[in-house]
Amino acid sequence: MRPARVALWALAALTALYLVLPVFVVVPMSFSDSAFLEFPPQEWSLRWYENFFTDLTWLDSTIASLQIAVQVTLLSLVLGTAAALGMVRGRYPLRALVSGLVMAPVLVPYVIVGLAVYAVFLQLGLTETALGFVLVHTALAVPYVVITVSSALMSFDRRLEHAAMGLGAGPVTTFATVTLPLIAPSLAGGAVFAFVTSFDEVVTSVFLSGPDLTTLPVQMWSGVRVQIDPTVAAVSSMLLLVTLSLFAGAGVARLVRRRKA
Amino acid sequence: MTGEAVTGRRLPDGWGFLVLPLVAFLLVVFVHPLISVLARSLSDPEPGLGNYAAFFDSPVYLDVLVNTFVVAGLVTLVTLVLGFPYAYLMTLATPFWRGVLMAAVLVPFWTSLLVRTFAWVLILRDTGVVNEVIGALGGQPVPLLRNLAGVLIGMVQVMLPFAVLPIYATMRGVDRRLLQAAEGLGARPAFAFWRVYAPLTLPGVAAATLLVFVSSLGFYVTPALLGGPQNVMIGELIVQQLSGVLRWGFASALAVILLVVTGVLLLLAARVVDLRRMIGGGR
Amino acid sequence: MSRRGIALAVTGLLVLTACGGGHAASGDGKQLTVVMWGGDDQKKAVAAYVEPWAKANGVTVKQDSPTDYAKFRAQVESKKVSWGVVEVEPNFAVTACENGWAVKLDPAKVDMSKVKKELVSECAAPLLEYAFTIAYNTKAYSAENHPKTWAEFFDTAKFPGKRGFWKYATGAMFEAALLADGVPADQLYPLDIDRAFKKLDTIKKDIVFYETGEQQQQLVSSGEVPLIQAWNGRIFAAAEDGQPVANEWNQHLLSYDQVVIPAGYRDTALAQEWLNNFLADAKGQADYANQSAYAPVTPEALQYVQPDVRRELPTEHEDQRAAIVDYTYWAEHYDEVTERLNEWMAQ
Repeated sequence: MRPARVALWALAALTALYLVLPVFVVVPMSFSDSAFLEFPPQEWSLRWYENFFTDLTWLDSTIASLQIAVQVTLLSLVLGTAAALGMVRGRYPLRALVSGLVMAPVLVPYVIVGLAVYAVFLQLGLTETALGFVLVHTALAVPYVVITVSSALMSFDRRLEHAAMGLGAGPVTTFATVTLPLIAPSLAGGAVFAFVTSFDEVVTSVFLSGPDLTTLPVQMWSGVRVQIDPTVAAVSSMLLLVTLSLFAGAGVARLVRRRKA
Repeated sequence: MTGEAVTGRRLPDGWGFLVLPLVAFLLVVFVHPLISVLARSLSDPEPGLGNYAAFFDSPVYLDVLVNTFVVAGLVTLVTLVLGFPYAYLMTLATPFWRGVLMAAVLVPFWTSLLVRTFAWVLILRDTGVVNEVIGALGGQPVPLLRNLAGVLIGMVQVMLPFAVLPIYATMRGVDRRLLQAAEGLGARPAFAFWRVYAPLTLPGVAAATLLVFVSSLGFYVTPALLGGPQNVMIGELIVQQLSGVLRWGFASALAVILLVVTGVLLLLAARVVDLRRMIGGGR
Repeated sequence: MSRRGIALAVTGLLVLTACGGGHAASGDGKQLTVVMWGGDDQKKAVAAYVEPWAKANGVTVKQDSPTDYAKFRAQVESKKVSWGVVEVEPNFAVTACENGWAVKLDPAKVDMSKVKKELVSECAAPLLEYAFTIAYNTKAYSAENHPKTWAEFFDTAKFPGKRGFWKYATGAMFEAALLADGVPADQLYPLDIDRAFKKLDTIKKDIVFYETGEQQQQLVSSGEVPLIQAWNGRIFAAAEDGQPVANEWNQHLLSYDQVVIPAGYRDTALAQEWLNNFLADAKGQADYANQSAYAPVTPEALQYVQPDVRRELPTEHEDQRAAIVDYTYWAEHYDEVTERLNEWMAQ
């Protein structure tokens, strides 16, 4: 290997280690018997996992968060991709203003957004509803989709589309069979950002949550002023396990497909 | 692409209409509620510019604002320095290693910010994992917590995925044969990389820069728990004023000032780089 | 193209509305929403002295957490109040009362005769007591040799090591600084903030500020900050957990949380009914005290608290108390002192 390549691998390995380092603390912590976040644990137990599955508020809030995040992802992808196509390819008035508007949700501090939306949603009866969460989280998530998809469209070679059209494909077919597959990695990136923006959002969610609907991050933060419930470490560990399994599953599936091919 | 004059007054064409749903959505869900709160900066506790005057009355607020932009800038820089080579390696690696690298990028996303931040405290504190290793090797404990280092370590880890994913997505679209062609024509590998390959990844880098910088401005949990009293960012101050002291007018004024300063900075940046291209206005 | 975009968006919204339609309708019966700081503490508190009352009276208890003053104020201003009884810090109770955000309690409906009158205000009744103590790491300092006064706490030459304070103006650091500087306890208020800052300046480089209870306990038990101004209950819980920490009760500052009812709550009468019941509920309060090491506010409750816990409550150490934190003072000066604290910290 060239020295440059070795250096590249070394840097990437260190970066990867840095990215996953907290996990090596969080996972052992989740198996601690102590009521405090403790590392390394003195005594081991499964009590925080047990707590998660026996305390309905944890389960309910996890399910609510997952449902909301999925809906946010879908809505942000639709709105964001359409807007990105329009912004990169289209012609429309007040461009600077539109760009500013699309970026604004990332820029305005979430606590201000939370309060503003709360005041309006109280009047509309949208607090403590999944719809309320989805609307607000989508506004916060959509800039991430627009930016990632725009960057892909910008480096996109439109001659490919012209070629497809030249061969008789309609605009919809062209979009579905040529454009979409080529910008798919960016769509996937945008989808991940949107999902996570919603799934880990606490500041605006604290306002919208209540007895009828509380999301997971709010549940996690609720006692934080006094003491963190180590169940949060158990939840994170389980989410991690699920994601990594999905990843491994996808990898295995790809391997199997290649073997067959 | 860049040569075409942008005339703002023209009516939208077919593509242009696609912007409309999002604009309408944001106007209803985001802008409309925000107006009444931001207007409080001019009316609460009394009508006038008192809240803005208060910002300049004490040096601390300006310091916090400057610090916020400095931290966001540093976070962006470190994130790019780590993220760009990482994304590049992902395009070179075998599918297996690409999967591993990708998984490492996505791991932080599934550990809630709260747990992650407290995990960092346990790792970075004087009696923490890192300093125990340093101590075992015979070194002096390095202060990594309640200072700028702690803030950067915490924030960069949160922001790295936001840099790696868009850069990687763009790199995947770049034809690597261009590099071979350049080298085949006698260009040195480094020259070929920086002059032929890197410019083609710019849209991804620009997207990453924008995402990371702008998102970093609003952080407050990470700096509050990993930083010291000198590392306060404006997000924390706004929360303090809004939920603690209940000076809503002043909190709104802080938000408006943050918005305006960021807007001006982005406009200035747009003079240097063609920023509109970053967020999709580049025709 | 445009029409499809809009159609998609509309369809999306419709789907979402359908999904979000499951908003549970509130029952016809009586219902009370209880709001506290959340977590395990809230669970224990509600089980100890809200649920038994609710069961006996056919009331459905709903819970929200944590208390957020912005959310409180927004509900009142929007005239859509869903919070019934809310645990707050006393300075907010005073502010809320002055601004008409909280209901003035009716003495005919809420009998406060049994609780300390210092802990009562026009709109608020006390919920629990706790103390800001000198907490120390028992590996760094022994039971005999540790700071026993705030003056010693500020003496970094005699007792080396970092010092911890809560990073809020109401976190009792100013009171501690003034006591350390020799201000007599009965002349503490109104606080001489300039003098307090001067005293804090002397140990500024050694001060570590904490934000949450978790940090407080981690800092002192790891030995990173061997001396910390802490909440007695946190330290007790950590000690019970086997961590090397202890409370020094001498010169402690007594603090407390209160309950208020937001103005505009639909069933103020029910909220006051619970409050009245709570203040008389010696066993319920004792039950919570046993689990949390926060002191009950009704003295009668103390007889039901286990002796080993009772020893750890501020009520057992009243002779060592320096002062009760004066939250009327803080309600008035919180803004300005916070601003000065921001400046001081940033320097």
